[in-house]
Amino acid sequence: MVLNLDGTKPIYIQISEWLENEILNGNFESEQKIYSQYQLADIFTINPATAAKGLNLLADEQILYKRRGLGMFVAPDAKDMILAKRKNQTLKRLVEELVLEAWRLKVSKQELIEMIHSINTGEAGE
Amino acid sequence: MMSLTKVRLWDVVKQQYRYKLKGYIQVFMSMVVLQVLALIFSLNGVGNAGASGGLLNVNTSYFSADFVLAFTMLWGFITAILITTKAYSNDDFIFVTNRLSSHLSNVLFLVTASILGGLTTILSTFLLKVIVFLFKSDVYLASSADLAAPMTLLVGVSSASLYILLLCSLGYLVGTLIQWSKLFAVLLPAVFVGGLLLNALSGEAGILAVLYAFFMTESSFPLFFLKVVCTSVVLFWGAFGLSNRLEVRP
Amino acid sequence: MTVIECKEVTKILGGTKALDHFSCRIEGDKITGLIGRNGAGKTTLLKLIAGYWRETAGSIEVFSERPFNNLLVSANVIFIQNEMDFPTALNLKELLEVMAGFYQNWDRALAERLFEYFSFSPLQHYKGLSKGMKSTFNMIVGLSARAPLTIFDEPTTGMDAAVREDFYRALLKEYLAHPRSIILSSHHLDEIEDLLEDILLIKQGQELLHLPMSDVKEWAVALEGKVSLVHEWIQNREVLYTKSTGFHQSAAVRNDFTEAELQQLRLEGVRISPVKASDLCIYLTRDSEGGIDDVFNKG
Repeated sequence: MVLNLDGTKPIYIQISEWLENEILNGNFESEQKIYSQYQLADIFTINPATAAKGLNLLADEQILYKRRGLGMFVAPDAKDMILAKRKNQTLKRLVEELVLEAWRLKVSKQELIEMIHSINTGEAGE
Repeated sequence: MMSLTKVRLWDVVKQQYRYKLKGYIQVFMSMVVLQVLALIFSLNGVGNAGASGGLLNVNTSYFSADFVLAFTMLWGFITAILITTKAYSNDDFIFVTNRLSSHLSNVLFLVTASILGGLTTILSTFLLKVIVFLFKSDVYLASSADLAAPMTLLVGVSSASLYILLLCSLGYLVGTLIQWSKLFAVLLPAVFVGGLLLNALSGEAGILAVLYAFFMTESSFPLFFLKVVCTSVVLFWGAFGLSNRLEVRP
Repeated sequence: MTVIECKEVTKILGGTKALDHFSCRIEGDKITGLIGRNGAGKTTLLKLIAGYWRETAGSIEVFSERPFNNLLVSANVIFIQNEMDFPTALNLKELLEVMAGFYQNWDRALAERLFEYFSFSPLQHYKGLSKGMKSTFNMIVGLSARAPLTIFDEPTTGMDAAVREDFYRALLKEYLAHPRSIILSSHHLDEIEDLLEDILLIKQGQELLHLPMSDVKEWAVALEGKVSLVHEWIQNREVLYTKSTGFHQSAAVRNDFTEAELQQLRLEGVRISPVKASDLCIYLTRDSEGGIDDVFNKG
């Protein structure tokens, strides 16, 4: 497994995203045990503490849950949660860029909303 | 968490002794070389006497292992200094060691070397006799050291070993002093030679003579054994005391 | 479990303070990177930890004991240096045998397999090896010993890139299979970043920073944009590095921006990017803000 080492995205975030992809791809089912920090460390040649951070990130978002002494498991609705999260993130990022670009081009908030409306209704109309 | 290994001093000393026997093997080779050299010097005999009367000429030559012993004692002295130098003493630190174990294994090594040296020294008398017999004609050999008298042989080997051990312990202390402060490398020879000169000039018996009397003229073997062992222990102990605070120099 | 504890350790070498009231605490089975410039005191610290040298002042404890002249510490620590004084009379195979006799956790099978993998010949002597091969042999010794505290001081000197990769991989695999406390001092932080759990940064004999790697990676950010903007933003902040070329300025500052500030930065068009751990260490251990450019800029 190759990681993006140019420093733009922290390793542990890359790990968590990779795990999310694994779940989305169906390699891990709900209630199934996911890779341990040691297995991840071995797969990616990283320190297990970093891998643990990635796992904990997903646990905090309740995509994974911990079973004492047994390890991390995939939450029952993990797949849906990941999809929702991704949608939110992607969309949110696009909106941010939109707002930023509008500000740069000196387009007012009102204008922007009107633009969105017209496109929205235009598309809805088709 | 890995559990810590508990070590016992003597286990470490044994391991060190074992690897030193293999690792310091070059010193034994130089011992052989020195003894062969000494043997060659001994071929002329350590004492000669001649007498003649009428048609008969008698030449008496005394051969002994004195030369070989002297050379081997010197070898012991130098070897002991050698093993205190960085090149040898630093080796221990790659493995498991503390100053005490390092010393104890060195002492064991020197004792072994002394015994070996003593053995080969006495055996060289036999070699000497064989060479003299083979290469000189009209020879009648009268020997005082024979395989037929094992007790004398044992005493001979032991005495030789003890002499060598004594020089080893002296060399070890000298070597340690030098490691402690490089000044001693100059100071000690200076004091030694200076002392000898003073004694020679003043004509009185110096410390060397006292030592000679103390050791060499001792006729009781057990007493001799005791004297040498005690002196050696004191010298080794002194070396140990000095080096306990020494660091590992690069 | 505290493996190493240094309290105000000072070591004077040849009149200078190689370590100056140095304090640190290393706990548990972690891989800690010891980072610092040449002469910062890394090797001195490691020699004190391994019990080779005596501290001039302060206290140092390894496994709760003073490491100097200590058999317990010697038996549970393996110190792999650049220059290893292996006995010259023994060949490589014999050296491994001797090591096996001293270190009770020694794994013969591992040592043998690594030995073969790197194409060593049993009858070779250490002295006759090239620098890279010596380092490789040192690595085999360091890993096979399975000592509870394993110290590597610039272990990759002379190794080519492929062997370095092998070393890092072997180190990690051994660590995963048999966790132990490892200290790795290296000049190639960018290569070992992801192996490390903690970083201990040393500068002029003192500890500068001792943090988990993840914190170090997020310690500073780099701002890039118009001079007027960047200049404004770096006021009243800890600036680690700054460089301006005409209208453009870039600066590395401590990462203590709020969300609102980050938003603001983006709106203003100032590029914000993370600062790599290796770069951060360079900035922190440097003496001037402009770096070597100062030499060329003056005059």
